[in-house]
Amino acid sequence: MKQTDNLSAEAAQLKNIALAFERWHEDMISLTDQNREMHSKGDDLVTIVRQLIMLSLNAAIEAARAGDAARGFVVVAAEVRSLALRAQALSQELSKSLHRSDLVTTATFQDIQAGGKMMMATISGLESMLGQLRSKID
Amino acid sequence: MLSDQSRQGLASAFERAARTTIVRSQDDACQILTEPPDGTAAFSADPLLVITISSFAFRLLTLFQVADNAANRAYFLPPGGGCTLQEGFAEVANLCSGALSREMSAVFPHLAMSIPSRLSPQCMDSLAQLKPDYTSRHTVAINIGVQVSVTLCMCCSAPVDIPATLAQVQTTSGELEIF
Repeated sequence: MKQTDNLSAEAAQLKNIALAFERWHEDMISLTDQNREMHSKGDDLVTIVRQLIMLSLNAAIEAARAGDAARGFVVVAAEVRSLALRAQALSQELSKSLHRSDLVTTATFQDIQAGGKMMMATISGLESMLGQLRSKID
Repeated sequence: MLSDQSRQGLASAFERAARTTIVRSQDDACQILTEPPDGTAAFSADPLLVITISSFAFRLLTLFQVADNAANRAYFLPPGGGCTLQEGFAEVANLCSGALSREMSAVFPHLAMSIPSRLSPQCMDSLAQLKPDYTSRHTVAINIGVQVSVTLCMCCSAPVDIPATLAQVQTTSGELEIF
């Protein structure tokens, strides 16, 4: 009888795992929020890079119009355009990384969420078995 | 990797779940097309809804995509529904994953399901990052013009054996044998 009481106490203690799941849940929400913030910053970066590309294109056109006097400026405009295109490629890579991170974070988040339900159901089943066992002993 | 039998069992369980939840009426014409495993067609650009079914030995991501068009809205939203297609469809997706989960729980008694999450469709390109053991893509076509894409992504952490005839497996869950 004492052993079943001990087992019941252990099962009750195990239910505290819900607290750990809540902690993980909060951490995952924080991670998801951070991802969302990074997406927003990434979108700003895309806008800036797009404007930079347009600006460098305009600079190249104006430099070409100015003729020989602006030969040096043509080189500068081309360099700015090259940098802008590299920044564009980088921002596209960043966007892909963020989407990858979103998927992995969400999959982990949902796995923890479902895992928590699974554990609680298992512990409840165990408690129910112990209850039946105790009533048989009584 | 999942055996051919397990793949078949999963596919047929999904089909049964889809036919009883995504399809609203038995009078509706429904065709479920499964893309060959080596299919390389690009993923749809429609909004993505994810629900995970987890067990100790695996996690199964069910990824739903439905285009926001007149046919889908008319089919999945109640008249004068007052919600977006994505909001309304989340309930349908939840029912479908729930039906799949219930059927699988006959073989895997410790099984639970997450709540739905929305993601950008661009996330579909990163599925390999989850190191899935098996991925299958299905298109549920209903009547004329209603269409839902569903991707099943199975990630196993231990050997998983799904019977090909999952629906026939008799469940004994809930009966607790003490002695």
